[in-house]
Amino acid sequence: MRCERCGVELTNKIIKINDVPYCENCARIMGYGKFLRSPEEMLGSAFSPFDEIASSIMQMSELDFGNSALSCPKCGMSLREFERKGRLGCIECYNTFNDYIVKEMFKQQGESTYGGRMPGQTAELNGAGKDILPGKTADEGALEAPAKEEPKDGEKPAEAKAEDSADLKAQALDKLSKLEKADLGMLSDEDLQTAIKLAAENEDYILASKLRDELKGRKEGN
Amino acid sequence: MKMWYEKEGRDEDVVLSTKACVVRNIKGYNFPSKMDDKDFKSLLSKVDSVIDRNELSGGRATDIVNSGDTETLMKAQISGRDGSLLYSPDKKSIYYNQDYSLSIAVGNHEHLTIKAQAPGHDIGVYRLAEKAAVDLEKKLDIAYSDKYGFLTSSVKLTGTGLKILYTVAIPAIAKTEGGIAALRQRVGQYEWAIYPFADQGELNESGVYIIASVSTLGVSEDEILERGEKLIEDVTKAERACREQIATKKKTQMKDLYGRAYGLLRFATLMSRREALDAVSWLRLYRDYDDSAEFECKWKMLNTITQEVCWEQQRRGELNAQTTQKKRAERIRKILKGVD
Repeated sequence: MRCERCGVELTNKIIKINDVPYCENCARIMGYGKFLRSPEEMLGSAFSPFDEIASSIMQMSELDFGNSALSCPKCGMSLREFERKGRLGCIECYNTFNDYIVKEMFKQQGESTYGGRMPGQTAELNGAGKDILPGKTADEGALEAPAKEEPKDGEKPAEAKAEDSADLKAQALDKLSKLEKADLGMLSDEDLQTAIKLAAENEDYILASKLRDELKGRKEGN
Repeated sequence: MKMWYEKEGRDEDVVLSTKACVVRNIKGYNFPSKMDDKDFKSLLSKVDSVIDRNELSGGRATDIVNSGDTETLMKAQISGRDGSLLYSPDKKSIYYNQDYSLSIAVGNHEHLTIKAQAPGHDIGVYRLAEKAAVDLEKKLDIAYSDKYGFLTSSVKLTGTGLKILYTVAIPAIAKTEGGIAALRQRVGQYEWAIYPFADQGELNESGVYIIASVSTLGVSEDEILERGEKLIEDVTKAERACREQIATKKKTQMKDLYGRAYGLLRFATLMSRREALDAVSWLRLYRDYDDSAEFECKWKMLNTITQEVCWEQQRRGELNAQTTQKKRAERIRKILKGVD
């Protein structure tokens, strides 16, 4: 995942503002610095209210470290090490950390199923007529020259955009809650694909894998 | 023989290079971060025994480092822009073909990193990487699962293990207000990513960006290539449109900046990297609109300068800043004079 503003790869610290990921530096430039104080900064200030520090400590104790002791029996890689480095130690790690790996795959790519070639085979370039842009056809929405950003008549102010974004989020959550209760057999393959993407975007990885399994089951059934 | 980046390429006014990176791992070994010295020794020997010596030279990274010829690998964009491929050389091997357009690195994060590079816009470069990958897949027991595809140390690469990267020089989009934001949005629609060549330091405002594929799961190799092909056409079109807009709307200023930039590159005695890339970006912006024909400024020249400055080997303690700047200026003068 990369910062939407400067493009730097996000590793340890990801700051999401209206669901858009930013790096710490950009978040500070954009004026969110006051929300990003480090413990040192908080403790360094003689006037830091004690309850602020105390609530931070309370929050820390609520974090789930339940599986932090999980480690790979073959190479000794621990879950925490994997989460920190983003790299696995051996092939066996794929079995040991399967749930976390799938979650990571959904987070980064919105997918966890393989669609490429087999070892020793060559890929076929036979995609003529396929949809190039995910969700759009090749001819749709060609990039126009980015013109100078000038205020346009009728353009929504930033507050209205933020409200829109909150509305969209609420709609997405509503859809997801309906999906959780829905009979998946009634959904088309296309609906399932869209739902998987929606669930992954909203970090509902359990629902995403449930939907993926349904879709996979259908494909295997065919 | 010319290096790959010294050759002509398609859409070279915008696209400096196309790269295809394919990573693979071999069953029976841990991934490099969990390998011991014995494993590394065994891995390097195993791969060495199946390398096609008719096509590829090179070998143990230790030998390359000891020979002192690390600059060529840097210029050919094989050893990483910080030269990191040559760190811990006793645990790595590097193989490359005659014009350095194909390289295979062994033991660097993944067991095998196959990289093919071509000047300009050339998605066909994937074929070169794929051919080498398929050859190794037939000879070695490659880590693969039906569920996840090719298994890699980095979860970001699990699946096809393929990354396509375009290096583009887009000064006009970068100088247009909101240009990069609009481009980033478009690139995101293709599920690709764009980021500056350098986040900080001397090269951070060079107008040089990397556009890279992100997905390795849920897509086939040919889908990745098709999206890249379409996307880079969009980028090229947008950059040219922005150049035209800037060149026509601010003709006098652009003509002035163009002449000054050429003069600086052609006659300066000392040249910093930032200064060089800034001047090249002005030449790039106005080159197609200059009707004076007072000086020759070929795209190949501009691209060679850009790539050499971007991929310059950083010598530590060997040369002082002034000597480095002097050497850089001399080299740029030579390229612009056409005596290179």
